[in-house]
Amino acid sequence: MDDKTIVGMAKDAEFAKWAYRETRPEDVLKKTEALAHIRVLDCSYGSFAGLFASSILAEMGAEVIRVEPPGGDLARKMSPYGIMIKDSGLAYISEARNKFHITLDLSKEEGRKLFSKFSAKADVLIETFKPGHLDGLGIGYRHLSKKNAGLIFCAIHSYGQHGEDSEKHGNQPGYDIIDQARGVIMSITGEPDLDPELPREYKRPLKHGSWMGWSAGGAWAAFGILMAVFDRTRTGKGQFIDCAPPEGLLAISNYVMQYFHMTGEQMPRAGNYDYAVFPYTYVECKDGYTFISGFTDPNWTALCEIMNRPDLRAQFPTIKERLDPHNQPTIQHEIEKFTTEYTSDEILEMVQDYGRKVDKKGTVVTGRLESPNEVLGREHWKERKTFVRCNDPYYGELLVANSTFKSMSKTPGRVKWVCRPIGADNEFIYQSYLGIGNRRLKQLSDKGVI
Amino acid sequence: MPKAKSYRDLTKELFDPRQLFEKREPLQGIRVLEVCYVVLGPAACDYLAEFGAEVIKFEGQRGDQMRFVTPYAYFWKNMSPGLEIENHNKYWVGMHLGNPRAKELFLDLVKRSDVVVDNLTPGKLAQWGLSYRELREINPRIIQLHVSGYGSWGPWTGRTSYDAVAQSMGGLSSITGFEERGPIKSGVWIADWLTGLMCAVSIVSALNHRAKTGEGQFIDYMQVENVIRMLDWTWLYSFKTGENRKRSGNRDLAICPSDLFPCSDGWVALAAFGDEEFKGLCKAMGHADLYKKYSDPTQRLKDENARKILDRIGQWTRTKRVQQVEELADKYGFAASRVLCAKDAYHSRHLRERGAIQEYDDPLYGPMVQQCYPPRLSETPGRLKWSSRPLGFDNGYVFTKILGLPPEEVKKLEDEKVIFKWNPQIPSHCPPADWDGVSGVKLPFFSEKKHNG
Repeated sequence: MDDKTIVGMAKDAEFAKWAYRETRPEDVLKKTEALAHIRVLDCSYGSFAGLFASSILAEMGAEVIRVEPPGGDLARKMSPYGIMIKDSGLAYISEARNKFHITLDLSKEEGRKLFSKFSAKADVLIETFKPGHLDGLGIGYRHLSKKNAGLIFCAIHSYGQHGEDSEKHGNQPGYDIIDQARGVIMSITGEPDLDPELPREYKRPLKHGSWMGWSAGGAWAAFGILMAVFDRTRTGKGQFIDCAPPEGLLAISNYVMQYFHMTGEQMPRAGNYDYAVFPYTYVECKDGYTFISGFTDPNWTALCEIMNRPDLRAQFPTIKERLDPHNQPTIQHEIEKFTTEYTSDEILEMVQDYGRKVDKKGTVVTGRLESPNEVLGREHWKERKTFVRCNDPYYGELLVANSTFKSMSKTPGRVKWVCRPIGADNEFIYQSYLGIGNRRLKQLSDKGVI
Repeated sequence: MPKAKSYRDLTKELFDPRQLFEKREPLQGIRVLEVCYVVLGPAACDYLAEFGAEVIKFEGQRGDQMRFVTPYAYFWKNMSPGLEIENHNKYWVGMHLGNPRAKELFLDLVKRSDVVVDNLTPGKLAQWGLSYRELREINPRIIQLHVSGYGSWGPWTGRTSYDAVAQSMGGLSSITGFEERGPIKSGVWIADWLTGLMCAVSIVSALNHRAKTGEGQFIDYMQVENVIRMLDWTWLYSFKTGENRKRSGNRDLAICPSDLFPCSDGWVALAAFGDEEFKGLCKAMGHADLYKKYSDPTQRLKDENARKILDRIGQWTRTKRVQQVEELADKYGFAASRVLCAKDAYHSRHLRERGAIQEYDDPLYGPMVQQCYPPRLSETPGRLKWSSRPLGFDNGYVFTKILGLPPEEVKKLEDEKVIFKWNPQIPSHCPPADWDGVSGVKLPFFSEKKHNG
């Protein structure tokens, strides 16, 4: 790679070159894996929280075995408009990386026996069933940890494994929409409550476009699992992890809880505004949308000068006025009167021209809102190998997001393979873990156990 | 034979929050040096701090920007709520690492530390002679993580990123919002918080590697790429169809039904994709025909079918109260929940029973009620000990306890402005107005007022 590409817009070119040498994408496969010694059983069902958690561990080198019921996990069918590639939807293919795939029917006695045997050899188990389901089948934490005191047992469910709501709603399955709804953030995401020009039907809670409840839940679960693994190296003890994804969103809900504690008041939905920094917002422009900020007094003055609106500067002179939620819709609409006259590139140019003026009053930041196709085309992401493209022998041409841990200098995360068909690794895993050969496998298959 | 404990009793006992302080902390003994500001970097360190790491936070003379970022410009007891949210259980030092004497002190700390985290402009630490190259010379076990919008190298390295920029540059904003309306930003700084979380994940992973090999490492992490990673099927969909993923409000395009529906008294989130679940829902609705017609889940996902099904469900929920739908979900085994707001969470018995919301008595700010980071770990649970602190509040503790500098030496460093405390002219640097000069001070040698003990 040439120096110009590596150094980009770096303030310190030597540092950029050094960092590149330490984290070169070409070297990733030559380096060791942080979790190569860890075995994970992921028997999550219909949950991308479980799948995301085990993806993180698998990217770091853990040997992850996906345990699916015969016929496959319900998650394989979760796909936009029902688009399937062979036995799997687009979402599942994106989150099956580096995992071995076996089938096993836990509703059958013989299946549960095999499951116990597997778990005796595992370091980590991930499950997403209704609270107490596995316990009721005799393969819960208390049963499995008897044979394997080091087992880290991670249960993920919207309502958690204990507590009042878990008892009340424990018969409900967990879902991303439930995680988002119970995670408080959804109550303050959406079109702005206080904008008088906004039609009423849009004044309602809004989820993140992606499965943010599941992704956050899975990331929290992986965080807990990795800490438990670390603790186990010092104490030899495993433990039970109870991960409720809504708590993973609640825990990062900015200051709404603090503000309620301090004032007894709740905050309304802000839309694209922000009650702590404004303007710091998305605005409509001629060819889409762009981000624009000019929050502090000098930066606000700069923005008003760019728009040639000294009256706005005078009308909202301090952050007190600009952070008043009743003023924000007005400020937003006034800024949009200007931005809708130009394309995002023209706005960027004006902001950059202003930044070069000797008598500039402050700094304005702007940046186009990127569509997925635009993101896929950007050179930076190509050079950083943000996406993995491959021709899978079974699924064909695929593209998925790479591991974001790929720039760890000693133990980079990686994607070795993308997805496996249902039960594709039965032979290898049953043979190597349990010494079950093909003849016995056939018998089990005939009985519907696998 | 004694009767086996119910699952409910078993889990209650395993996770009893009253036993919190009788249990180990998983990151006990891990020292983290935080050279971070705003939300992302401090959040990454905060996650570690609530699970027992000793996090020492360094601030320049002006203080972390979050001392000035707060809703409606509201301050509480001189504290900025914007600063509080990503800073718990930490030790606070006022020291600018660009100062040569400060750099020496910092390197002394690096010798005795495990992790260094920064979210400054890429290369900033290198300019001060504090890059991984230098740090590993004095401590080969050190793990150093740098996080920025676009990472330490590549065409866009050095570009400024904010949370809202990361949400938009990573494609999240473009897919969030109602079908016929514009893109919407998350209600929170989601790209900061979740990138911080993945940073913490990579740090603990590096700690695990180090436990086996004794080897530290450098980690370069990218905020915008983290947003990209969390958009599930967005990329494969674009790749296979050439289309951009569309905004679809609360409707899940990959799960049907999964949406937010109107009830007579509010909103209910509802999902039922599994066969038994959808059958249960149709039964609860009294529309067995709906199940018969759309029993195949992939058929339900076809746009035309999905719209019909969601419309039928919406017509039904309008005739019900939210609680009725929740109760039917409990009975028939589909998923349904109200949308919780801050007030609901604050008063939730469920969350308190679980230790998801904890109360503690802060020596500076009094009783606090806050979320504690998940997940719940039965043997090594996370916990809240104290809140954010005035600028330079723990200077004495850090330099005396860890580096062994006598109190008069620490005083000298303060006089020479190598280290510093809050500026009394700037309220959000300062302790509460009625602070007694002693409460909350760790190792109080040279406070002017007498300790009340």
